[in-house]
Amino acid sequence: MKLYTRPLYAPDTSIGKPRDPSMTTTATTPKFVARDVKVHYGDKQALHGIDIDILDKSVTAFIGPSGCGKSTFLRCLNRMNDTIPSARVDGTILLDGEDLNDRKVDPVVLRARVGMVFQKPNPFPKTIYENVAYGPKIHGLATSKEEMDHIVESSLKKASLWNEVSDRLHQQGTGLSGGQQQRLVIARAIAVGPEVILMDEPCSALDPIATAKIEELIDELRQQFCIVIVTHSMAQAARVSQKTAFFHLGNLVEVGNTEDIFTNPKDQRTQDYITGRFG
Amino acid sequence: MTDTVQSSLAETRAPAKVDLKTAVAKRLKARHAAEMRFRAYGVLAICVAVLFLGILLERIVHQGYTAFVTHSITTEVYLDPNRIDPTDIMGANYDQMITEQVMAKMGVAEDEYGTTSGEYKEILSPDLGFKALEALRDDPKLLGKKISLTSPIAANADLYYKGEISRDIVEADRNVSDQQMVWMDDLKTKGLVKGHFNTYLFTNTDSTQPELAGLLGAIMGSAMMLLVTAALAIPIGVGAALFLEEFAPKNRWTALIEVNINNLAAVPSIVYGLLGLAVFINWLGMPRSSPLVGGVVLALMALPTVIIATRSSLRAVPPSIREAALGIGASKTQAVFHHVLPLAMPGIMTGTIISLAHALGETAPLLMIGMISFVPGLPESVTSAASVLPVQIFIWENASERAFHERTAAAIIVLLVFMIVMNLAAILLRRRFERRW
Ligand SMILES: Nc1ncnc2c1ncn2[C@@H]1O[C@H](COP(=O)(O)OP(=O)(O)OP(=O)(O)O)[C@@H](O)[C@H]1O
Ligand SMILES: [Mg+2]
Repeated sequence: MKLYTRPLYAPDTSIGKPRDPSMTTTATTPKFVARDVKVHYGDKQALHGIDIDILDKSVTAFIGPSGCGKSTFLRCLNRMNDTIPSARVDGTILLDGEDLNDRKVDPVVLRARVGMVFQKPNPFPKTIYENVAYGPKIHGLATSKEEMDHIVESSLKKASLWNEVSDRLHQQGTGLSGGQQQRLVIARAIAVGPEVILMDEPCSALDPIATAKIEELIDELRQQFCIVIVTHSMAQAARVSQKTAFFHLGNLVEVGNTEDIFTNPKDQRTQDYITGRFG
Repeated sequence: MTDTVQSSLAETRAPAKVDLKTAVAKRLKARHAAEMRFRAYGVLAICVAVLFLGILLERIVHQGYTAFVTHSITTEVYLDPNRIDPTDIMGANYDQMITEQVMAKMGVAEDEYGTTSGEYKEILSPDLGFKALEALRDDPKLLGKKISLTSPIAANADLYYKGEISRDIVEADRNVSDQQMVWMDDLKTKGLVKGHFNTYLFTNTDSTQPELAGLLGAIMGSAMMLLVTAALAIPIGVGAALFLEEFAPKNRWTALIEVNINNLAAVPSIVYGLLGLAVFINWLGMPRSSPLVGGVVLALMALPTVIIATRSSLRAVPPSIREAALGIGASKTQAVFHHVLPLAMPGIMTGTIISLAHALGETAPLLMIGMISFVPGLPESVTSAASVLPVQIFIWENASERAFHERTAAAIIVLLVFMIVMNLAAILLRRRFERRW
């Protein structure tokens, strides 16, 4: 019995049907090419050789049971695993054809190109304005106050938060609601002008309305960015993503068009997972 | 048959139900009793602590409050040209001259051997003579004129005025004779001697004369020493903690360092004094009993505490803040200095101020580095000899004059006030900065 059938969440049928002509070329070139990525935490192996291509200007969803290594792989994509002393990453990950684990690659520059939104909203305990302006400030993206104001405003607008906070930009970011905070940290990530946005369960703590807002936002951002999202919600994966990757026990079991994964999975494990038989 | 089954079921069930309830009730009773007992212990402990603290404070204040009041004498002094040689103003006996003038004013006759003036001199103060000489040295034209001088009365006289030397004691057992008591009463009724707040305690430096001894030198010394301590302990301690907590790899070496730092925090302070004596004075040749050496020694002593306090407040900053900063491309240093350190600041400041307050009250290591000498003047710089508050207390307590003991308690009160102010500052700073979180 299939619990999740197509009409319930109607995946975006515009896959492959470009919204603007420039997408035709970019949508087919992979932004990331990962080959045989293995991650160890100390002696414990968390990922057993992941091979995946992640397309630009589209949303790729990572799904899979808890502890299967979704976050671990996501963190490989902007080298956040460097900050965990026990973590060891092997294999190659190419970003636009360049090995991002290369010694010559500065993780600081990489993380400016590959932004990340964490599972729990983590705004800085500073004002809303300062939160958004921090990234551009440290990267020297604005030369004047006006430019910075512009970056802050457009980032907040892209994150569809501007209308709610435009009159209180100088109040604490931590004083916002959970959903607003999540959009604030998305705005913070956008403000740096990244090419990729990684989102680790961005809606796990949000109510349906806030979730819907963020999903709308992801759909809009897709036109400019390469987006990778980790989610536990099948419905969400089906709603927002064009590609879906199913992880299981540190392995990438299956990856393909979201439509195909949800309607016609090739692997039994995928089938079991999306129909709710385990996980 | 069904009836019996049902009734037996009811029977088996009923007692079980009652049992559960009574068991819970019984346990509940025991739990409430345990809770009450624990609360009672807590209240008792607080009461005992407050009682001891109260006794301590009462003793100190009771002994010390009189030192905040003193008596001084104001009198007209005729700078008699017959007794002062203008070519050698230092050579004159000002004390004798002033005593005789006061006696004449009070109608006390001198006897032929001069013993009366000798006794009378004891209840005045040698400071009057110094003041007269000083005035004359500043302006030699004053010779032959009358000037008005004020100075603290002799310590024993002061004690008598405050009622601390009673007439009931046998005359031989007290420092003031019956005759002197009569003179003193007379001086007071004639208005020459007046009681007032003891400003000398805060404007004078240490002296061999208790009535002239003040805390200014010790306060200055303590301030200089604390500055040296803060200037060394805060940057080094916070820097070391930042490095260990945020940058250093977690390996055997850093673990070893951590254990050692924790151990150092428990080393008795006198050991730091020995170290200071051996390293800073004997080996590096720093000036003995100077605020510099004292400050360096106390900085060493405060370092482990500062490091531990800083590390724990750094650790209390949620890791999500670091990830947030790193995630948008901040370097590790930027993440630490822009986000982690500001958030850890209230904790760091509290820990630091409290360890500085500890250093302010520290005595033993300072005795080891020779800060026990009598220093009559103000320290000119951090390298000149100085006294500090806790050591001043120690020195005065060991003095033989009773008037010094009174001042000991007063000095303790002053030290306590400084500590309270520092701790209050720690609390206020914490409150202020925490609100921004
Ligand atoms: N910092 C770490 N140190 C040691 N082991 C870790 C660490 N982070 C993750 N792991 C382990 O690696 C494996 C994969 O973890 P990961 O966080 O990637 O799972 P996940 O798929 O994101 O799970 P979830 O859906 O619950 O977030 C788990 O077994 C986890 O215990
Ligand atoms: Mg995860």
